[in-house]
Amino acid sequence: MSSTSLRHRIAIVFVGLLVLVMGLVLALVHSSSARIVERETQRELAVGAKVFQRLLEQNQRQLETAAGVLSADFAFREAIATQDQPTVRSVIRNHGQRIHAQVMMVTGTDGKMIATTQSTFAAGDPFPFPDLLAAAEAAGRSAGFRQMRNGQLYQVVLVPILAPTRIAWVAMGFLVDDRWARDMAGVTGLGVHIVRAGTPGLLATSGNGATGAGGAGVASVGVPLDGGLQAVLHLPVAQVQAPFELLQGRLLAVIVAAVLVFALGSVMLAGRIVRPLNDLSAAARRIALGDYAQPLPPAQGDEIGQLAGSFEQMRTGIASREDRIVRLAYVDELTDLPNRTRFLEAFGRLTPGGGGAVMVVNIDRFALINNALGHLVGDRLLRAVAGQLQPLVPPGGILARLWGDQFAFLLEGAGVDAARGFADAVLAALRDPVTLDGQRLDIEAGVGIALYPDDGLDAATLLRRAELALAAAKRRHSGVAFASETGAEPAHEQLSLIGDMRRALLAGEFTLAYQPKLALGSGRIVAVEALLRWQHPERGSIAPARFIPFAEQTGFIREITPWVLETAVRQAAVWHAAGFDIAVSANLSTLDLLDPYLGRRVRGLLEAHAVPARRLCLEITESALMDDPAQAQAHLDELAALGIKLSIDDYGVGQASLAYLKSLPVDELKLDRSFITAITESPRNAAIVESTIMLSHALGLSVVAEGVETQAELRWLREHGCDIAQGYGIARPMTAAQLQDWLADFVAKTTA
Amino acid sequence: MRPSLLVLAAALLAGAAGAAPVEVLVRTPAGVPLADAAVLVEPLAGVPARPRGHAPAAHAAIEQRGREFIPWMTVVQTGTSIDFPNNDTVRHHVYSFSEPKRFEIKLYAGKPGQPIVFDKPGQIDIGCNIHDWMEAHVLVVDTPYFARTGADGRATIAGVPAGRYRLRLWHPLQKAAAAPDEIEIGDAPLRQTLVLDARAREPKPHTEDDTDHY
Repeated sequence: MSSTSLRHRIAIVFVGLLVLVMGLVLALVHSSSARIVERETQRELAVGAKVFQRLLEQNQRQLETAAGVLSADFAFREAIATQDQPTVRSVIRNHGQRIHAQVMMVTGTDGKMIATTQSTFAAGDPFPFPDLLAAAEAAGRSAGFRQMRNGQLYQVVLVPILAPTRIAWVAMGFLVDDRWARDMAGVTGLGVHIVRAGTPGLLATSGNGATGAGGAGVASVGVPLDGGLQAVLHLPVAQVQAPFELLQGRLLAVIVAAVLVFALGSVMLAGRIVRPLNDLSAAARRIALGDYAQPLPPAQGDEIGQLAGSFEQMRTGIASREDRIVRLAYVDELTDLPNRTRFLEAFGRLTPGGGGAVMVVNIDRFALINNALGHLVGDRLLRAVAGQLQPLVPPGGILARLWGDQFAFLLEGAGVDAARGFADAVLAALRDPVTLDGQRLDIEAGVGIALYPDDGLDAATLLRRAELALAAAKRRHSGVAFASETGAEPAHEQLSLIGDMRRALLAGEFTLAYQPKLALGSGRIVAVEALLRWQHPERGSIAPARFIPFAEQTGFIREITPWVLETAVRQAAVWHAAGFDIAVSANLSTLDLLDPYLGRRVRGLLEAHAVPARRLCLEITESALMDDPAQAQAHLDELAALGIKLSIDDYGVGQASLAYLKSLPVDELKLDRSFITAITESPRNAAIVESTIMLSHALGLSVVAEGVETQAELRWLREHGCDIAQGYGIARPMTAAQLQDWLADFVAKTTA
Repeated sequence: MRPSLLVLAAALLAGAAGAAPVEVLVRTPAGVPLADAAVLVEPLAGVPARPRGHAPAAHAAIEQRGREFIPWMTVVQTGTSIDFPNNDTVRHHVYSFSEPKRFEIKLYAGKPGQPIVFDKPGQIDIGCNIHDWMEAHVLVVDTPYFARTGADGRATIAGVPAGRYRLRLWHPLQKAAAAPDEIEIGDAPLRQTLVLDARAREPKPHTEDDTDHY
């Protein structure tokens, strides 16, 4: 619509301007025509009047000359001189015919007529026009328009007869009638009418034109004749206007033709301008709809062509940028695999009711590898893993990298068996060693599987369930776990757990068990870790992994931790008073670490029970630190200022780097049990643990190995400089009372 | 002018034994001396008081020279014959339609065979049919006592016997005839100034002279 209106506007402006200009021209021509006609009419009238007057004079002179010649004729004079009436009458009739005078009158010098051709006069009558006679006596001759008694108008010429003195006058009359008027009209180009002033009749008329003077459409001018007569000259204005009207008519035709040609031309021109614009706007609409593929039609060299060129650049620019944005939005930069967003979107496109499996794959101890060998190696490892997993993706499935070393498959339509089979294939593929820079890396992985729709209806739930299953698989070293096997209890059971925990805290169902920590250098027990135990009256002993994550999730941990701290500090006070030189470790969760009163409460406990600060150690997980690093650091600084030992728990499963830990007031690093489990069997694990110990020492941290189960492991750790060991291989967690007995035994054993 | 002088001389000689001369000055009403006026002294009684011995010259001439009549005005006594010698190289056709003497001398050169005798008193206007501007005027009078004013408007008539006379003026272009005066001629010369309302002669243009047109 806008394009047609633009086309119309261009045409309208062009044609409108032309019409305006032409209209002005026409108006100008019209007004000047009117002026010229007016002037021309006046001029023609003036010229006509002058010609008429001139003609009258000439006529009169000719008549006078003719009359003079006649009057000088010797025989004529001789005849007149005879004074013989019949002779004189005869000669004037004869000579009058010679010069076509209708009236001849001979008058004596006394003013009495001698002879006349008019029968109405007799000899001796006075000459009827004494004024002419008087004028002739003064000037030698005279002439004038006179009406005879018969009513006819004549041009009368009076000349003397000289012999050689004047002996008589001869008057000659020439008829002034309509024919005469027509002759005059033919010469002057004007209508000629002779009137007597004050009387209505026409004495002579050329006939054409209106009779009255100054009629409509007729311009007139009066030329006074003598004897009270007037010649009225008429000029029909239409006669003057005619050529101008013809001119205006032709001009109008030319204007109409020009406007038509112009309109056609401007419409065509506008079309030429607008067509590429239409193409452009169509292209712009396509681009707006997201179709960047179709190139623009080839551009011409003009401004619109340049615009089209810019448009084409814009199109390709947008296309490539969108490509990049889509890549950034949906593609993992590192591995070129789809990212989490893309994964969730793919899940959204699952056929409802068709079933499917969400499978989360995680590389064991990746953070440790990352820290030990550097990020670049870690990145290359991830790319290699992606390369190994990519060929496994079945049609309709998708492999995404969620974050870190967490990969996820979406298997459309897969059931339990298909998922298990696929998981085995994944684990088998990952068992192939990865070679980076000629160095062989053995990697192991865990797989957690959640089934749709059994384990959840949305991607977030399924992913969480799959991750929980993965965690279970890792704990159990089973490689693969299904969410349905490890999944949380039914919802009502979880809800009752909150109430149970609150009740358990009041009823004293929570207890602390203490696991000794052996200093490998001295062979002494230097500390114990306080571990939370729940003896449920109906369900019996509930594993910490079952309720602690739940307590953290619900925030109830904030009520449990103070009890744990108080109990641990009180126990430490007892042992301190009894002379045991051991420190007590307690675990802090993320929420605890963010509690602004943490430092004050800990100091209050220590003061209340008179326990030296060095007898208390607080263990924090990496993930707790990462939630709010600034806050965590502030509180850790506060705690460290009290003189309390700080330890990083489960080191190696999270993302924290040693470089970050170095900036914290941390004393100790606890290697996750998963690293320790196979150090004596996997050279790779051994290398990682060894380098971690070395790095920690370099940073001034002591290293605690968790989950030490065998004497071989213990020996290896001792040989490789690990500071402290903890695990079933040394002692299981036990009550405070059991610990005192165990310690006595241990001291006795080691010193024996 | 010479012929008229001859006439005057003759008159003077003839009247030498007579009474005193009459001297007249003719003027127009505007006071301009009028030439070519005829001054006539006519006896009151009908007797022509002219002694036979003093017979007037019965012959006069009006010649054509330079396509003009010379003299323009002539006064003669009744019975005088006038010759019209043509001294031009072109021919002339002299005519008169005037009542006292009608005549016509058709195209001629030199001296025509017979002079024209003017035997009746009156005014005769003479023209040439070939040259319209040529004109001459002849006044034929009975009295023998007459004269023509010169360019100074004066004329003298001698030899008039004493007695009572009527003094009359005439001019070819007079507008009206002047009333005659009565005079007494004695021994003493009579001097009079008279007024005549007339146009002075104006030479007419020779319309033929524009030969260039032909």
